[in-house]
Amino acid sequence: MSDSISQPDPGLAGKNAIVTGGSRGIGRAIVERLAASGMDVTFTYVSNETAAQGVVDENPGLAITPMRVDVRDSAAARACVEAMVERVGSIDVLVNNAGVIRDNLLPMLEDDDLSTVFETNIEGVFNFCRAAVPYMMSKRSGRIINISSVSGEKGGRGQTNYAASKGAVNAFTKSLAVEVGRRKILVNAVAPGVIETEMSEQVRDLAGDEITSNIVLKRYGLPSEIANVVWFLSSDLASYITGQVVSVDGGFKF
Amino acid sequence: MSTEISQEDIDAIYPQVAEIVADALGCDEEEVKPNSSLIKDLDAESIDFLDIVFRLEQEFKVKIPRGKAMEEARGELSEEEFEQGGVVTQAGLEKIKAYLTEVPVERISDPLKSAEIPKLFTTETFCKMVLRETKG
Repeated sequence: MSDSISQPDPGLAGKNAIVTGGSRGIGRAIVERLAASGMDVTFTYVSNETAAQGVVDENPGLAITPMRVDVRDSAAARACVEAMVERVGSIDVLVNNAGVIRDNLLPMLEDDDLSTVFETNIEGVFNFCRAAVPYMMSKRSGRIINISSVSGEKGGRGQTNYAASKGAVNAFTKSLAVEVGRRKILVNAVAPGVIETEMSEQVRDLAGDEITSNIVLKRYGLPSEIANVVWFLSSDLASYITGQVVSVDGGFKF
Repeated sequence: MSTEISQEDIDAIYPQVAEIVADALGCDEEEVKPNSSLIKDLDAESIDFLDIVFRLEQEFKVKIPRGKAMEEARGELSEEEFEQGGVVTQAGLEKIKAYLTEVPVERISDPLKSAEIPKLFTTETFCKMVLRETKG
């Protein structure tokens, strides 16, 4: 490693990434950020084909490929990673971003509100990691970044299901980091606070000033502010960080 | 087609398997011998076995079901007949000796804890895993 003070090279150009849930919100910002760094980025979406195609059309010149995959389906996750490796040759970065929210007070939660949230938010992470890790082990390199949430550590009203699934993502992240560290695969999570996306619209509308008063920076975050941290954790610059949950929440107080 | 695995079959794929083992464990190919215990002689960990099997699958275009070697070694014995309290029974030991013919018999200790079985696996054990799929 050089001690030069010249601009460091993030080392992402020419590498290949996969981002789950990449057609909108934070996922889309991550896809665009990584692709703009010269990566070949495959992203998954589950239903909104128009939004997925929009990501491609609005970023001419960048290597972005959408694939329709439900992250809850382990066979589909495996097939998706296999197809990607077949096409581009390797998987260097996996970003598990796909997630859903089904907020309600505990007595009002239906069985489906639990299964949908757990199957997508944590089983989806298992599915893509199981598919990608063998390739990364063989290459003795790789980065896995799981998108968690401030709820995973601090909880939130109406979020028992969502918060529990994100807490599971954090524990998963720390455990997998231990399992694969010797293989030079680095595993971290990013825990966003309240970010201006469609997914958080309801929360922001309902809570309004009550939430921003609990944020040190007195504003919501932007998808690009999460994407920047994911970019950093994907890069050579983050070569000594693993098993961490990085909060990007503007200083969220609870 | 015969499903018997001959020494010629093993010798035919051995160079490729040895190269994969060396790559996966980050050691020199000369260190890898047909009867090297991967764990005891080459410092492999259990997660390395997954990597080796994954690489073998890619190289030989086969699917090697995880845990299949143990199932086959057990044969018709039930789990209780094969091991009790984490220790392999006498009947189980006979099965292991018959299945892992490539392992020098003096390495198979008595009593043998079932968790110790992977320590017996040699480079040839992995050759046989591939051949059982390609010939089976």
